[in-house]
Amino acid sequence: MTTLHEDKTARWFLYFSVVFFLVTILIGLTMAIKFVFPDFLGGIAALGFGRIRVIHTNGVLFGWLLAANMGLAYYTVPRLAGTKLFSEKLGIATLGIWVFIILAAVITFASGDTQAREYLELNWWLDVLVTIAWVMFAVNIFGTIAKRKHEQMYVSLWYIMGTIFWTAILWIVGNLPVYSGVNDANVNWWFGHNAVGLIFTPMGVAMAYYFIPKATGNPLYSHKLSIIGFWTIAFLYIWNGAHHIIFGPIPTWLQTVAILFSVSLLIPVWTVIANFFGTLRGKWSQGNYIVKFLLAGTVFYLLTCFQGPMHSLRSVNQIVSKTDWIIGHAHMAVFGAFSFFAIAGIYFALPKILKRPMYSDKLGEWHFWLSFVGFLGFAISLWIGGFIQGLQWMNYTIAFLDTVKAMFPYYLIRMFSGLFMMTAQILFAYNVYKTVQVQDSQLQTALS
Amino acid sequence: MKFESKAVLLVLGVAVFMALGTYFTMVVPLTDESLFTPTKDAKPYTAVELKGKEVYQREGCWYCHTQQVRNLLEETQRYGMGEEETFKRFGVRALIQAPPSQPGEYVYDKPHLLGTRRVGPDLARVGGKYDNTWQFNHLRDPRSTSPGSIMPSYTWLFDKNGLPTEEAIALIAYLQKLGTNIKWREERVEQVRRLQAKTSTQENHSLAELKENN
Repeated sequence: MTTLHEDKTARWFLYFSVVFFLVTILIGLTMAIKFVFPDFLGGIAALGFGRIRVIHTNGVLFGWLLAANMGLAYYTVPRLAGTKLFSEKLGIATLGIWVFIILAAVITFASGDTQAREYLELNWWLDVLVTIAWVMFAVNIFGTIAKRKHEQMYVSLWYIMGTIFWTAILWIVGNLPVYSGVNDANVNWWFGHNAVGLIFTPMGVAMAYYFIPKATGNPLYSHKLSIIGFWTIAFLYIWNGAHHIIFGPIPTWLQTVAILFSVSLLIPVWTVIANFFGTLRGKWSQGNYIVKFLLAGTVFYLLTCFQGPMHSLRSVNQIVSKTDWIIGHAHMAVFGAFSFFAIAGIYFALPKILKRPMYSDKLGEWHFWLSFVGFLGFAISLWIGGFIQGLQWMNYTIAFLDTVKAMFPYYLIRMFSGLFMMTAQILFAYNVYKTVQVQDSQLQTALS
Repeated sequence: MKFESKAVLLVLGVAVFMALGTYFTMVVPLTDESLFTPTKDAKPYTAVELKGKEVYQREGCWYCHTQQVRNLLEETQRYGMGEEETFKRFGVRALIQAPPSQPGEYVYDKPHLLGTRRVGPDLARVGGKYDNTWQFNHLRDPRSTSPGSIMPSYTWLFDKNGLPTEEAIALIAYLQKLGTNIKWREERVEQVRRLQAKTSTQENHSLAELKENN
């Protein structure tokens, strides 16, 4: 027996996320140009670097990646539960609020309205709206899970439920206006680090756990590994925030605890990765672009989560912290790993929702290779440049300004790589648009 | 009873783990008095400085400038004073290291502005490093004072005649306040003076001894 899924909420969340992905990446490219030509779009307050950077980071995280993952959750959860979504009406209302939040965020940020805490910049009334939207999302997902047909829940559901809980607590506690001084910094990084670790990681992993078996046709490699991976990440991740302030004005014991737990993160990551590779076995060479995105995403997840624990070690942190190296690292997590998982999910889910193939598989292949090559150029140039920068900072006789000038060639390569990444996402959006549009025009023909 | 079939059990387990890590890494520091006791010289921001801090936040200065001298030799050297600077301003030739940042300096910061990235240099010790004229010129046209800089020109903080607006004046007042919650420039120069005086007295003594012996 098959359940008929309406998928209205899922579909519209995905459309929105794909469009907004373009906006955020265009802002990213603008920033990359400003690194090479600092007077580019100069003299306009709303387009100043400090104003658009926050639109880029928050836009990528909440406007693209979280929106895409919510859309994919609205798609996968009913299927894993073997029942219809709890309420499509509630879902569409959630989308309405979400779109309003993101658009209001762009306007408020451009006008300089910010709380000036990393990833918590949204002003208070937008914070409240996010909380309301998240509760509505939670009701819909838990409501669907509650009336599931199968008692046993698949691993993707654990991660999605965990994310809903983690995000709620992180968001509310992180936003309380009661902290000051170095404790404010510590709470900020308790939130900031876990925004990646307990929102985007578990959502991305949930999607990979669902779409890797689906796209390859292989069964999940190991149930036991998925249990170990889930509970170790639930236990270990929350302790890591302070590794962002190593050598900084916080207690040494707190730094050391963060380092110990950061290194321990190799356990959940390698467990999950082993499970992904096990599930991908035999499908490496025959994969289409969906499998390519999943495979590359898995490799980037492995690499970024190897870098992370290593960065926390004092001897490494001394060199790379505060440099451009970290920008490469952050983009490997958010773009290379979790965006790749979400893109693969969209390529898989959209044809199922619309009941027709993607408009062009060739464009999908181009999308993958341009994203892949563009990202490598972006990250490798920043890793090399950032490492040199870190070493130069260790010699105080080298003037700071000279270490800025030394970055020029790397910033230039980064800018062109960004152009590749941008082009790739234009192809993605075009492909999605054509897939949707063809169906709509056919519908119209059918109706007339 | 397995968590795979009980959603409540799963969420409960997740909550316990989250509470554990949060307690030790967040609640314990929140109750640590040494983290919110002001330093001896710490003063709350004046109204103008506070307004400047708001401009600093609004323009996102903190995305490219950290405010923490890390507890590392290369940072206390880089953000301290070089020989030329100490000679020009205090008449003393010495390389003076900046103190590493301490929790007590930040107690009046809400929100904190420690930052994470140094596209430009750290600003935790910038107060008193440059005069106001330099700061205004740098803010309006960074490349006029620092060729090769990639900082944006904050032209919207200046009027048609290129004069600083109230906001620019407040921002520079805020920058001049940074790092002054420890009076390190004056104190360390004084230390050097005393040390040099002591050394020269010792030199005189040994010279006198030498003469007597001859």
